[in-house]
Order: sequence, then structure tokens, then C-alpha cells
Amino acid sequence: MAVAEPYVAPVPGRFEKSAPRRRSGTLSFTTRFDKVALGLLGFVTLVALVGPLFAPHPPDEAVGSPFQPLLSPSFPLGTDDIGRDIFSRVLYGIQSSWFSALVVIASGVIIGGIIGLIAGSSGGWIDSVLMRITDTFLALPGPVLAIAVVAALGPGLRNTLVAVALVWWPYYARIVRGEVRALASRPHIEAARLAGAGRTRIMVKHLLPGTVGVTVVAASLDVSALILTLASLSFLGLGAPAPAPELGAMTARGLTYLLEYAWIPLVPAFAVFLLALVANLAGDGIRDLLGRR
Amino acid sequence: MARFIAGRIVAMIGVILVLVLLLLVLQRYTPADPVRAKLGANARAELVAAERERLGYNDPLPVQYFNYVKGLATGDMQDSLRTRRPVAQDLGAYLPATAELALFALGLAIVIGGALGIASAARWRGSGVLRVVLVGGSSAPVFLLVLLGLLFFYRRLGWLPATGRTGIRDAPEGPTDFLVLDGLLALRFDVVGDAFKHLLLPGLCLAIGPAVAIGRTLRGSIIDTMGTDFVRTARSLGAPERTVMRRHALRNGIGPALSMTGLQVGLMFAGVVVVESIVAWPGIGLYTVQSIPRLDFPAIAGVTLVLGVLYVVVNTIVDIAQTVADPRLRG
Repeated sequence: MAVAEPYVAPVPGRFEKSAPRRRSGTLSFTTRFDKVALGLLGFVTLVALVGPLFAPHPPDEAVGSPFQPLLSPSFPLGTDDIGRDIFSRVLYGIQSSWFSALVVIASGVIIGGIIGLIAGSSGGWIDSVLMRITDTFLALPGPVLAIAVVAALGPGLRNTLVAVALVWWPYYARIVRGEVRALASRPHIEAARLAGAGRTRIMVKHLLPGTVGVTVVAASLDVSALILTLASLSFLGLGAPAPAPELGAMTARGLTYLLEYAWIPLVPAFAVFLLALVANLAGDGIRDLLGRR
Repeated sequence: MARFIAGRIVAMIGVILVLVLLLLVLQRYTPADPVRAKLGANARAELVAAERERLGYNDPLPVQYFNYVKGLATGDMQDSLRTRRPVAQDLGAYLPATAELALFALGLAIVIGGALGIASAARWRGSGVLRVVLVGGSSAPVFLLVLLGLLFFYRRLGWLPATGRTGIRDAPEGPTDFLVLDGLLALRFDVVGDAFKHLLLPGLCLAIGPAVAIGRTLRGSIIDTMGTDFVRTARSLGAPERTVMRRHALRNGIGPALSMTGLQVGLMFAGVVVVESIVAWPGIGLYTVQSIPRLDFPAIAGVTLVLGVLYVVVNTIVDIAQTVADPRLRG
């Protein structure tokens, strides 16, 4: 028997590595990009949290002469038609927009999550009934329905949030339910069931944690759509009443001055754009980093 | 197949009935009392009670629901509290302008979205830049787009008009109520040009968001199909890239983009309301915006119903069309 050539064990990852390495250039680029996006997300949240503390003027009071342009001394973003400081108002408006979007997302996730969890883990007729309701809501045009709900409840920030939350949950119910159905047949759930864990325990301890990843990704991709929808409702006069510094309403009220004093409607509209853009980029970032979908 | 279509239509009617129920429940809980609004705040209590009884507000909910649906079936949408006219009549007057704008925007969205999806899937030169611009555009609230458009095309360049449907006073009031078409039919090309100019800015602003969504979906599904075996076979048989794209990738990948188009119609309806309120487009969006501060719920319910039904119908048609066109979807 001839002495065999010494067997050279394949260096693990030698070939695998060279293939992904070519891609890793783009990979690290996207990761870096994602991290920048997430950094921006953190920054915007910080601005939303503490921004109003740094507002140089009270948002609802006339503090200077009206129609001062951008970059005027002590009014970096100018003043509006009655001399309020636009910068201070925008800081408050960002807070209101950002947290409104988060509140609605959170309630959508909670309502939809509970419904999806119950439907997915119960199966049978409970599942059919809940999903039939969900599909009916999904089949209706959410933003249009939200306008009707606010109009019926009466305009106001709280009513707007309630209205949008009412039309925003079905999407999450579908996602969570699908994920729960997929998880329910996995061995660890079966094991838990055989070990005698109750239905609620399986639902809360074993199924719920498995749905978190997908839901977080879906929710983060959803924030910018929600910011835009809420801003539109506020623009239509369905948000908080008159002096409140809401970005959409500020734009709507400044519309008359578009041709002479363009910054009055444009600054708050740009603030909405930046919020939505950051949310969009950060949503993509979170999806890439969590590596789902 | 017939069974599938029948099932979809039954489901569609179910959804519409639920929408009607929602509107009725909302109407019961709205703080604006239509009877008070009709008779005035100082009306005698007996009169108000009698009117409530006459309008059936004291009936149990199922009876009210039945009567409401029966009314709707005969075109009765109650009277607007603001204009004091039947809501159905108001909608008839305002709807054509909105339909013209929305159809134009939808057409633009499909064209732009399609071009965007194909260009970026095929990696045409410059499509990356286009994508960045459009993704940025889709993060912009629609009112920002309209404002920037007005500043640039109306104020700076003076190319496009700012508000309304047309500046021509004796524009024909023709058979279709679509100004562009009516102008064509009446051979008034000045009207056609003017109406088209008025359509351009609001239509484009409305189209950008849906176009990006359609383009993204189309790009994804084309890329998916490009990786399939039959595309590889077509390529190895020597089919040129254009043919592969047109005959194989696009045809098989268009389904999801079509669904997305149907879904975007709902978003576009919300955008229409905003855009119409800015450029004073005499459509149902403007009607809604004028109804909101007066808490004119019958009017808003009418608009919601019309838009909701349109949305449901469009999506049902998309669904059926897809199943007819794609045998793989027939379960």
C-alpha cells in the first residue's frame, strides 16, 4: 500500500471566504451606510426628545417682527406671518410628528400583534374569524378611512392618532399571524406542548419572542409612511387646533405666503421630508442589519 | 374560474357592506348632530325630536343599517350639512375633475414606475441616479412636492399655471366631463392644451410616490425572474437581452407590480385630497377639505364611500385579472 500523500485538510473557509470576500466590499459598505442611517435615527430621536429644550423662543408667541427671512439674526429659520420663531416651532413640530408616528406604530403593533398571535396560535374558527376581519380592514383604503374617522370624532391630535391606529393594525396582524403559523410547527414548540405547557404559556413564552424580529423590521420600514400620512392629515386641518406647532398644519397655514415668503410654508414641509427620509434610510438599515426579508 | 370570480365578487360586496356599517357607526357617534345642523341651534325640542324620529335616528342599529344601505342602493347619500344639497348630487358635480386628475396621475405612475423598474433591473446607465432622486421624492410629503413645483414651474419659469382646471372661460362642458377629452371632442385644441398644462403639476406630484413603489416592486420581481431556469435557457438559446427582458422577465414579473399598483390607488386617493386643496382643483378632495371644518359628516361619508368602493373594486379587478392571466395563481 503506497503511502498516501499527506492529506491536506481543506482550510475551512479558504474557498468560501474568497467568494464572499468579493462581495464583502459591498457588504461592509452597506453596513457602514446602515450604521450611519441608524446614527441619524438616534440623532432625530434625540432632537425629538430634547429639541424643545433648546428652542430659543416660545413656539406660540410673537417674538419678533413678521416675515423675517431665513438666517436673520436670532431667527435662524425666519419668522412667520405673525412674528413667531419658525425654528422653535419646527423643533416642537418634530417632537409631535416623531412621537405621534411612534405611538401609532406601537399601538398598531400591539393591537395587530395580539390579534395575530391569538389567530395564529389558536387556529380553527378563531383564526378564520379574526383573519376575515383583518382582511376586510386591509381591503379598505386606510388613509381615506382615517380622514372619515377623524372627521367623525372631531379634529384634534388625539383623535387623529386614534383614527390612524384604527386603520394601521391589520398589516401587523397579518405579519404576526403568518410568523406564528410558521413557528407553531417547529420542534421546540411541539416539545413545549408535549412537556405540558399550557396554551397561554406557549403563546407568550415561545411564540411571541419568535415574532419580534419580523415585526421590528416591518415596523421600522413603516415609520416613514406613517410620518407622511400623519403630516397629510395635519395639513388637511385634522390635527391639533390652530396655534399648535404641527408641521403639516404649519405648511397649510403658510400656503398663502408661498410666492412672497416661501420659507414660511417650505421650512416645516422640509422638516417632514427630512424626518421621513431618515426613517426610510433607518428602516432599510434595520432590515439589512437584522438580515430578514 | 367562474367560481373564483364569483367568490371574489362576493368578498368585495362583503367588504363594501362593512365599510357602510363603519360609516353608520361613525355617524352615530359624531358630535356634530345633523338634525341640529339642519334646524338650527335654537330649534324647539319637540321639532328636533320629531325630525330625529322622521330620519329614523331612534331606530335600532340593524334597522338603520338596512335603511342606510337601501338608500345608498337608490343613490341617496343624505344631504350635505354645508351645501344643503344631496351629497350624491355634489359628488356628481365634483367627481369628474378628481377622476381626470387621478387617472392621469395613475397613468403617469405606471409609466414612470415601469420605466424605473425596468431601467434599474437592467442596470441601464444613469438609472442609479434616477433611483436616488425618486426614492428621495417618495420620502417627500406630497404637499412639499406641489409647493416646490409651484415655485419652480409657476413662479420661476412661468410654464405652468398655479390653480384650477383651466383658465378658459368658455370651455366646453361636454359629454365626458374630462376637460382634455371634451376639448378634443369639441375640437378646441386651446382647451386641450390649457387643461393638460393644469393637469401636469398636480398629476406629476401625485404620481411620484406610487411610481417609486411600483418601480421597486417591479425591479424586485424582474430580478427574481432573471435568475430562473427558463431565462437561462432563453439566454443560452441566444435570445438577445431585450427579448429576454420583454418576453420572459417582464411578462412573468409583472404580477406583483400590478398588485402594488392596485394598493397604491388608496394612497393616491389620500394624496388627491391634499393636492386638490393646494391647487384649488374643483374635485372631491377640495369638497372634503371644505367639509372638514364644518363637521359635515354626510359629505365626508359620501366621499369615503365613493373612494372606498372604487379602491375595493380596483383591487378586485386586479386580483381577477392576475388570476386569469397567470395559471400558476389558480389554486
